[in-house]
Amino acid sequence: MKLFAQIKHLLYKEILLEWRSKYAFNGILLYVVSTVFVCYLSFRSTPPLVWNALFWIILLFAAINAIAKSFMQESKGRLLYYYQIASPQAIIIAKIIYNALLMTLMSAVALVVYSIVFQNNVGDWLLYALAVLIGAISFSSVFTMISAIASKANNNGTLMAILSFPVIIPVIILIIKLSKNAMDGLDRSVSWDEIGVLTAINFIVVTVSLLLFPYLWRD
Amino acid sequence: MKKTALSFILMLSAVSLFAQENGVEMADKLRASGKIYVVVAVMLLLFTAFILYLFSIDKRLKKVEKGN
Amino acid sequence: MSKNWWKVLASVFVLYSVVAGLLFKVPTLPILHESIRNLYYHVPMWFAMVVIYSVAVYYSIRYLQTGDENHDLVAVEAVNTGLVFGLVGLASGMVWANYTWGAPWPNDPKLNSAAIATLLYFAYTVLRSSLDEEQKRAKIAAIYNIFAYPIMVVLLFVLPRLTDSLHPGNGGNPGFGAYDLDSNMRFVFYPAVLGWIGIAVWIVNIRYRIRKIENKRNQI
Repeated sequence: MKLFAQIKHLLYKEILLEWRSKYAFNGILLYVVSTVFVCYLSFRSTPPLVWNALFWIILLFAAINAIAKSFMQESKGRLLYYYQIASPQAIIIAKIIYNALLMTLMSAVALVVYSIVFQNNVGDWLLYALAVLIGAISFSSVFTMISAIASKANNNGTLMAILSFPVIIPVIILIIKLSKNAMDGLDRSVSWDEIGVLTAINFIVVTVSLLLFPYLWRD
Repeated sequence: MKKTALSFILMLSAVSLFAQENGVEMADKLRASGKIYVVVAVMLLLFTAFILYLFSIDKRLKKVEKGN
Repeated sequence: MSKNWWKVLASVFVLYSVVAGLLFKVPTLPILHESIRNLYYHVPMWFAMVVIYSVAVYYSIRYLQTGDENHDLVAVEAVNTGLVFGLVGLASGMVWANYTWGAPWPNDPKLNSAAIATLLYFAYTVLRSSLDEEQKRAKIAAIYNIFAYPIMVVLLFVLPRLTDSLHPGNGGNPGFGAYDLDSNMRFVFYPAVLGWIGIAVWIVNIRYRIRKIENKRNQI
């Protein structure tokens, strides 16, 4: 129970901090919208395959930029303070949940803007939205741990990209396939495999993060 | 022990002598001239050398470890 | 000598697979023809790679539990050796693919996955070189190694099964079993796999011992 209380407090604090400055949210929002617009200006109209891939690439970079900050922006003093009041598990779970919320919001906005600017036919909007939701959650669960690792290693932005790309590629492959199924309006039973594997990956990644973060935290 | 080893070797050589006839072209000519054994001999020599080299590295390393 | 029995066994297995792999009867299959014999040489590389990456993860976990520096050294050398086997596996696969599938890099999920898995471990070495302080480096590298391992398993063993692949056993293609209905190939294939795993572990062992001596020398 204590863990849940801690998670709730930390989550509340993250959201409050974000609400006050709105820095991350506005920054990423601007980033996504301007990238979508740049893509629109350079492509005008795209075949469905490119439309889908482009959307995920935009989201991927937005996610890296957003989540890389989650540990790097914390000052040393504040980290020390957390160390005393909360268990490491609570911290990583709170971060993952917060990032997942942020990413869900971001990708929802991105999806709306993207589909208004770029005309395209999506066969099964519900499944596509589900793919975007799963994508947002997967990105945040994978990147949160990587950003924790990268923040311990000299706060290096390049390192974050190097470490996270090979890890995120299997997720991206599956998500692109899932959302392509949604675009083609295939029967939903076709997509169960991808949804299952993505859920399994998320589950494994969160479990491994929970097991490993205490070691990373203890310094 | 010896008997099982012997029978194993016999079995393997029997396996290698099986004839094959289903129209798919294999490198039977290469085999017919018997020159394939030269290739086998060369590869065997190379791999033996490679493994002996590994053993010698291992031995030298052991010496260094003892010296420390 | 009794401690070295497994090295001798591995050597015998590898030598046996070289001779038997060239001489024994193989199934006559279209497209593959004699190149099916590559199975004895190309596939064991991957087996050896996966086994020593698993060794690396095991020692990374041991390092986090005990903080013993030697465990970290084993993990690094296992990853280094695994990278060599992975690259050799990729290269040999490209040669084989060029003659059976028509291109050195056919768009095959297993190839892409293997390449990404290799990238994953290159990222590990980059991470290591970006850190100077020894204990911190050992700890963070161990954490990344453990974090990356399940992803590698998904890449190599789950993803190719979901998509169409040219490799046997994936995406509706017949499994390895279809190629050796007469099971003759097993007599060569299994010893080859065991032999190469043995050789790989042996190389890891040698590299680890060299590293240990270097480490000792640096500390003095």
